[in-house]
Amino acid sequence: MTTLVGAEFLKLRTTRGWIGYVLALVVLTGIGTAAQVGSAAEVDLGTPEFQRDLVAGSLASLIAFLVGITSVTVEWRHGTITRTLLVTPRRELHVAAKGIAAFLAGVALAVLAVAVVLAVAIPFIVARDASFVLDSGLGARVGRIVLAAALWGALGAGVGSLLKSQTFALVAGILWILLFEALLTLLLGLVDLDSAADFLPAQALGAFEGSVDDALSPVAGGVVGLAYVVGVSLLGWFRVEHSDVT
Amino acid sequence: MIEVERLTKRYGSTVAVNDLSFSVAPGTLTGFLGPNGAGKSTTLRAILGLVRPNAGRTAVLGRPYRELDAPLERVGAVLETFDAHPGRSGRNHLRFLAAAARLPASRVDEVLALVELTGAARRRAKGYSLGMRQRLGLAAALLGDPEVLVLDEPANGLDPQGIRWLRDLLRALAREGRTVLISSHVLAEIAQTVDEVVIIHRGRLVRCATMAEVEAMAAGAARVRSPDAERLASLLAEAGLDVRSLGDGTLAVAAGPERVGELAAAHGIVLHELSAERATLEEVFLELTGSEAPA
Ligand SMILES: Nc1ncnc2c1ncn2[C@@H]1O[C@H](COP(=O)(O)OP(=O)(O)OP(=O)(O)O)[C@@H](O)[C@H]1O
Ligand SMILES: [Mg+2]
Repeated sequence: MTTLVGAEFLKLRTTRGWIGYVLALVVLTGIGTAAQVGSAAEVDLGTPEFQRDLVAGSLASLIAFLVGITSVTVEWRHGTITRTLLVTPRRELHVAAKGIAAFLAGVALAVLAVAVVLAVAIPFIVARDASFVLDSGLGARVGRIVLAAALWGALGAGVGSLLKSQTFALVAGILWILLFEALLTLLLGLVDLDSAADFLPAQALGAFEGSVDDALSPVAGGVVGLAYVVGVSLLGWFRVEHSDVT
Repeated sequence: MIEVERLTKRYGSTVAVNDLSFSVAPGTLTGFLGPNGAGKSTTLRAILGLVRPNAGRTAVLGRPYRELDAPLERVGAVLETFDAHPGRSGRNHLRFLAAAARLPASRVDEVLALVELTGAARRRAKGYSLGMRQRLGLAAALLGDPEVLVLDEPANGLDPQGIRWLRDLLRALAREGRTVLISSHVLAEIAQTVDEVVIIHRGRLVRCATMAEVEAMAAGAARVRSPDAERLASLLAEAGLDVRSLGDGTLAVAAGPERVGELAAAHGIVLHELSAERATLEEVFLELTGSEAPA
C-alpha cells in the first residue's frame, strides 16, 4: 500500500494540475486572512479566540476536497485508469490508495494554508501592538483543521470514484458545500429536524474543525465525518468494481 | 497460457462477444483477427480484467488477471486507447508505473531505448504523434519484462518502417519464448509475423488455425476457360466443388488445377486455359468472416 500511495503522489506531482489548486489556496487564503484581520476591531485582534478562528478560515478543506475529486476523475477523463488498473487490478486497493493519497494531500494543503494564515496575520497583528498567542489551544485547533482537511481530501477521492465524471463531480461537490447542504438544513428546520442537519457532512466536519457553532461536539463531528469518508469510499469502490474500462 | 472460455459480453442490446472460447499456447505468436466491431478489443480487455464479462471466464497464466501477483511482470498490454496523461511526460508516465509495480527505475530508460523513444521521453505526451503513442504503450507493456504480451492493434499509426520495426521486435520477443496475442483487422499486416490465427466475427469464433493452414486455404483455387463452360461448371458442382462464373467462359473453382484438369479430361471437355489461382490472404479472411470485399 505504501508503494501504491507513493506512486499516486508521483502521479499528482508530475502533472501541472496541482499548481492551480495550490495557487488558489495560497492566494485566496492570503486575501481572506488579510480581509479578516483588516476589518477586525482593535479589541478582538489580540484575543486567542479571534486568532484561532483566523486559522480555521482557510480554504484548505474545500481545496483538499476538490483535489481529492480531481485525483480520481482525471484518470477516467484521460483514460489513464486503464494503465492504472493494469498495474493494480485489484480495484479495492486502487480505491484505497487514492483515498489515502488524498488524505495525505489534505494534510499538506492544510499545513500550507495555516502557514499562509500565520504569515499574513502575525505581522499585521504585531504591527497593531497586539500579540499573537501561540499556545496549545491554537495548536489543538490547527491539529483539528489539518485532520479535517485530510478527511475532506479522502471524501473527495471517494466522491470521485463514485461519480467518475470530472465535471459532474466537481460541480456537484461545490454545489453541495455552497448550496445544497444549506438548503437541506433549511428544509430540515422547517420540519423540526434541525438536529439532523448537524449530521450532514460539511456540518459534521465543521464541528470537528471547530468552525461551526452549536452543532455536534468535535469528537462526534469527527466520527460522523469519518463515517462519511468510509461510506462514500465503499460506494465509490462498488461503482469502480462494476465499471467496464473501455 | 491465455484461456478464454465461453466469454459473453453485452453492452445494452449489443452483444460484443458471444460465447467465445479459444486458447493461446505458451510460446506462440497468435494473431487475433476480425473486422471492425468484431469484439477483439472487448475480448482483450476482458482477458486483462478491465471489462466484466456477462458470462464465461478468462485466465492468463492459469489465473484470472485480477488475481495475478505483480501483473506487470507477468503480462504486458497495449490497448487501443491512449492511456497516458497528456500533461505528463512519457518518462514520468513510465516512472509512475515502475514505482507502482516496484520495478527498478532503471527499467524506464531501458524500455524507452528499446522502443526508440528516448529522444521524446521528457516531452509532454500531449505532443506525441500516433506512432510515438504506440511506442510509449509498448514501452509500458515491456516495462516488467513480461512473459505474456497482449497487444490491441499495435501497428495502428506506425509508418512502414515502424511496422517493420514492430514486426522484428515481436519476432525477437517470440524467439525469447514469450507468448504474444496480437489483434488486427488486416490479416496481411500480421501474416508474416504470427504462427497461428484466431478469427472472430460478430463476437463469435470463426476459426482457429495455424498460419500454414490459412496459406493452404489461399492456395487451393483454379481458374479455367472452356468453350463448354456451362457443362464443366455443372460437372464441377456435382463433384462438390465451389464454382463461380467470371463470364466469357471463365470459371473460378475452389480446387487445385489438377483436380479440374482431370475432371475435364474424363468428360472430354476442351479447355482453353487452366491456371492455379492464389487467393490473397485478404480474400481468405473476407471469405471466412463472410464480409463482402469492398468494391
Ligand atoms: N463501451 C462500450 N459501450 C457500448 N458498446 C460498446 C462498447 N465497447 C464496444 N462496444 C460495442 O461492442 C462491439 C465490439 O467492439 P470492439 O471494440 O470489441 O470491436 P473490435 O473488434 O475491437 O473493433 P475494431 O477493429 O474497430 O477495433 C461493437 O459493436 C461496439 O460498438
Ligand atoms: Mg478494437
